[in-house]
Amino acid sequence: MEDKYVIEMRNITKEFPGIKANDNITLKLRKGEIHALLGENGAGKSTLMSILFGLYQPDEGEILINGEKVLINDPNDATKYGIGMVHQHFKLVECFTVLDNIILGSEDSKLGFVTRKKSREKINKLMDDYSLHVDLDKRIDEISVGMQQRTEILKMLYRDSEILIFDEPTAVLTPQEIEGLIHIIKNLAKEGKSILFISHKLNEIMSVSDVCTVLRKGKYINTVKTSETNTDELAKMMVGRDVSFTVDKEKAKPKNIVLRLDNVSVVDKNTKKSVVNNVSFSVKSGEIVAVAGIDGNGQTPLINAITGLGPVSSGTITLLGNDITNGTIKERIMYGLSHIPEDRHKHGLILDYSIAENFVIERYLEDRFSWHRHRLIHFENRKNYSDYLIDNYDVRSGQGSNTTARSMSGGNQQKAIVARELDKDHSILVACQPTRGLDVGAIEDIHKKIINDRDNGAAVLLFSLELDEVLNLADRIYVIYDGEFVAHFINNGLKPEDLGLYMTGSKKMKKENIVC
Amino acid sequence: MLKESKFTEGFKKAVTKHSTKSLLASIISIIVGLIIGFIFMLVASILKPGSSALGGIGILLTGPFNGLNPKYEIGNLIFYMVPIIFTGLSIAIAYKTGLFNIGAPGQFLMGTMGSLLVALSIDTTGNRFLGILVWILAIIVGMLLGMFWGSLVGMLKALFGLNEVIASIMLNWIAANIITWVFKDSPLHNIGEGKDGYLIKTSLTGNFSPTLGLGKLFSSGNISSYIDIGIVIAIVFCVLTWIFMNKTTLGYEMKACGLNKESAKYAGINEKKNIILCMAFSGALAAIGGALYHLNAGIEFKWQSAYQTLPPWGFNGIPVAFLANCNPLGIILSSMFIRYLSTSGAFLPMVGFNQYFADIIIAIIIYLAGFTRYFIGRIDKRIRDMELARLLEKEKNGLKSDPPNDNVIVMEEEGKK
Ligand SMILES: Nc1ncnc2c1ncn2[C@@H]1O[C@H](COP(=O)(O)OP(=O)(O)OP(=O)(O)O)[C@@H](O)[C@H]1O
Ligand SMILES: [Mg+2]
Repeated sequence: MEDKYVIEMRNITKEFPGIKANDNITLKLRKGEIHALLGENGAGKSTLMSILFGLYQPDEGEILINGEKVLINDPNDATKYGIGMVHQHFKLVECFTVLDNIILGSEDSKLGFVTRKKSREKINKLMDDYSLHVDLDKRIDEISVGMQQRTEILKMLYRDSEILIFDEPTAVLTPQEIEGLIHIIKNLAKEGKSILFISHKLNEIMSVSDVCTVLRKGKYINTVKTSETNTDELAKMMVGRDVSFTVDKEKAKPKNIVLRLDNVSVVDKNTKKSVVNNVSFSVKSGEIVAVAGIDGNGQTPLINAITGLGPVSSGTITLLGNDITNGTIKERIMYGLSHIPEDRHKHGLILDYSIAENFVIERYLEDRFSWHRHRLIHFENRKNYSDYLIDNYDVRSGQGSNTTARSMSGGNQQKAIVARELDKDHSILVACQPTRGLDVGAIEDIHKKIINDRDNGAAVLLFSLELDEVLNLADRIYVIYDGEFVAHFINNGLKPEDLGLYMTGSKKMKKENIVC
Repeated sequence: MLKESKFTEGFKKAVTKHSTKSLLASIISIIVGLIIGFIFMLVASILKPGSSALGGIGILLTGPFNGLNPKYEIGNLIFYMVPIIFTGLSIAIAYKTGLFNIGAPGQFLMGTMGSLLVALSIDTTGNRFLGILVWILAIIVGMLLGMFWGSLVGMLKALFGLNEVIASIMLNWIAANIITWVFKDSPLHNIGEGKDGYLIKTSLTGNFSPTLGLGKLFSSGNISSYIDIGIVIAIVFCVLTWIFMNKTTLGYEMKACGLNKESAKYAGINEKKNIILCMAFSGALAAIGGALYHLNAGIEFKWQSAYQTLPPWGFNGIPVAFLANCNPLGIILSSMFIRYLSTSGAFLPMVGFNQYFADIIIAIIIYLAGFTRYFIGRIDKRIRDMELARLLEKEKNGLKSDPPNDNVIVMEEEGKK
C-alpha cells in the first residue's frame, strides 16, 4: 500500500476555555478515500474539521497537504488548497437564489456587475457530471433541506475542491435523501476526490467509508478499515462501553386522553393547498404515539398546529380537555405542553444566551427562578438547576452552566433542549426528531428517558423520520401521507416493511380502521 | 523568556474575553479616528496657511483644558452629557430588544414639550419647595408624553407590522411640528429679552433643576456653568437600566426577543407586548433627556425653528450607544468622550480650523465603532498569526540546528525558485 497522503493532520491540539476539544489528534487521508470520523457528541470532530478548513487555528500540531507543510489561516486559504466543507449547520443566505449562493464569494464580475452566465454553465455541467440536480433559480428558503445540502455540495465543487469535508450531512436528511447522498459521495470518490465524512449513524459509516477514525473526549482512539470491523465494535470503541441498539420497555398502560385532535386541517397560506387534511387522533397519558411518514407529508404544519407555532384552518385541538385550537403558546405550556422542536437553532435555543439562561426560557417566571414578585432573576437557583440538568443529561461543554449555547457541539445543544423539555412539568411531550445529531450512547440514554417519561404518566407524541426510532419507541403508530393519516398500527413487533407501502402512499387503510 | 510567554498568554486570554474585546475595539476606533482626523487637518492646513494640524490634534486631545477656565468648561461638558446619556440609553435598550430606535429625537421633543408646558405655565417664584415639586411634575409629564410617543412606534410595528425605522422617522417630524404649533401662539415667548423665537427660561418661573451647588463649584469667576442635578439622575438611570437589562425577568425576556424572535415565540414569550413595552421605555428615556436638558435654569428652547430641525441630542444618542456597545454603564464613558471632543471643537479656531472639524472626527470614530466586530476579528487573527509564525520559526530552528535562522529562510526561498 502506498504511503502518500493528500492530507495529514499531525498531533493537533486545540483548547477552548475550559476544555481540550482536540488533544494530540493525528488524521491521515489518502487520495480517493472516504474517511469517516466517529465520536461521541463533543468528541471534537467538528473542531478538527474546522481546523482543517481554517476556521480555527490549532494550538499545537501541523497540517500537511501532499506532504508539504501548510498554514491554513482562514477558509480562503482552505479553498486555495482545494479544501471544501459542508457544515453541520448550513451556511447559506436564505433570501438569495441557489445560483447566487453557489457563486457567492467567487463570483465573476464585469464592471462591478455580477455576470452569472458563465457560472451557470459551469454549475450545469457539474450537476450533470455528478447527477446533483437543484433548481438554480429558487430561493434557499423555498427548497428542502436536502436540496440546500446539494447546494452546499455544488458550492464546494464549483470552487474546484479536491478534499471534501462533510460534517454530519445525513442528520437532517430523509432516508431516501441519505441514499442519494451516499451515492453522490461514492461517485465523488470515484472521480478522485478525497472525502472526510462525519456521521453518528454506524450503518452509514459501514456502507460508505473505507476507513474510520474514532475520537473520544478529544483524544485519538484508533483508525480501522471499515471492511474489518462491525457496528458493535465501532460503538464500543467510541463510547467505551457496550451499546444496545434496541430498547426494553414494558407494555404501555394508557390512561386518560391528554391531547385530542378532531378533523384538524391546515391550509397553506401561500399555495392555498391543504397540507393537513382532516386529521383526528388522540394521545393518552402513559403511551407513546408516533407519526411516521416521509418528510414533507404534512408533519411540520401538523406539529405547528399542535404546538402553536402555526395556524389551524379548521377543526379543534384540546389539551387536557381545554380547547387550545387558537390558544397562545403560553396557554399550551400552562396546560403542560413540552416540545422538542425540529429546528434547534431556529426555535430550540437562543444561541447567544448561556446554557443556564436557555434552560429556563419557558420557566423564568416560576417562583423558583424569580423573586421579588417575579421581577428579578434568581441567579442562584437558576445556576443550581442548570448544573443539575447538565449532570443528569450529560450535556458536555467547556464552561458548564456559563457556556454560551453557540459554542456547544451540535449534539450537546440537542441534549440541552431534550433535557429542558423532559424535565419541565408536562402532560404531553411533542418530540420532533428528538435524537437528531446524537451519538449512539446518547440516543440510548434519551430513549430510556422518553420511555421513563411515559411510565411516569406523560403522553408522548413522537415525530421521527428514523423508522428504527419509531418502531423502537412507539406503542401506537399513525402513518401520514400527503397530509392525511392513512394507517394506524398497534406496535407489537412491527417491521419496517409493514409501514413502507403506506408511507409511500401506495396503500391506505379504511377510515374506520384508523381509530382515534 | 518565560515571563514573555506568560505575558502573551495573559494578553491572549484578556483579548478573548468579550467585554475586553469590545473595549479594545472602541479604543482602536478612537485612535484610528484621531489619526484620520489628523490627516484631514494636515490636508486642510496645506490649503489654508496659518493653521496647524499638530496644534489641532493637541486641542482635540486637551479638550476643555484649552479654556481660560477649565473648571467652567468641564462643568458645561458634564451638563451636555446628560441629554446624550438618556438618548443613548434609549437607543441601547431598543437595540438589545432587536429594534432600531431612530425616533429618539421625536421622543426627546415630546419630553421637552411636556416638561416645559408644566414648568413654564406654573409660576412658583419665591417658593423653592413648590418649585421643586413642579419641577418633578414637569419631568414626569415629559416622560409620559415620550413614553406615549415611543409606544406609538411600538404599536405600529407590533400590530400593523410597520417597520420601526419608518414609523420613527414619521413620528419625529410630527413631533417637531406639534411642538412648534403648541408654542407658536403661547404667552411663553421670551419677549422680555426681545427674543420672540425662544421660550422663557425656567429660572423665570422658579421651576428649574437644582444645581446642588455644582454650578458654583464648576464656575468661572461669577459665572456658573450649566451643570446641575441632571448628571446625577443620568448616572442613576444608567445603573438602573443596566440592572433592568441584566437582572430582571423582563429584561431577560426583552433580550430574548432581540436575540432570537422565533425561539422567544416558541417559549411562549409575547413578542408584541415586548416590542410595545420596550419602545415605551425607550421613549420615556429619551424624553427624560429632553426634559432635564431644558429644565436647566439657563437653557432656552427655540420653538421657532423646531419644525425644521430635529434636535441633535436625539441622533447623537446613536454614536453614544454604539461606542459603548449598548452597555448602559459604558454609556457614561462614551458620552463623556464625545462631549470631550465636541468641547474642544470650540477652541479649534485658535489654530485656524473651524469647529466642525471636531464633528468630522466624531463622525469618523462613530463609523469606525460600527466596524467594531471587524476590528476584533483582525486582532484575533493578528495574534494567531504571530503565534503560528513563532511556532514555525521554533520548529525550523529545531529541525536545522544551525543557529542563524535568517540563512535558513533565505536558503529555503532560493530552493523554491
Ligand atoms: N467556539 C467554541 N468555543 C468554545 N468551546 C467550543 C467551541 N467550539 C467547540 N467547543 C467545545 O469543544 C468541544 C468539541 O466540540 P465539537 O463541535 O468539535 O464536537 P463534535 O465532535 O462535533 O460533536 P457533535 O457530534 O455533537 O457535533 C465541545 O465540548 C464544545 O463545547
Ligand atoms: Mg459536530
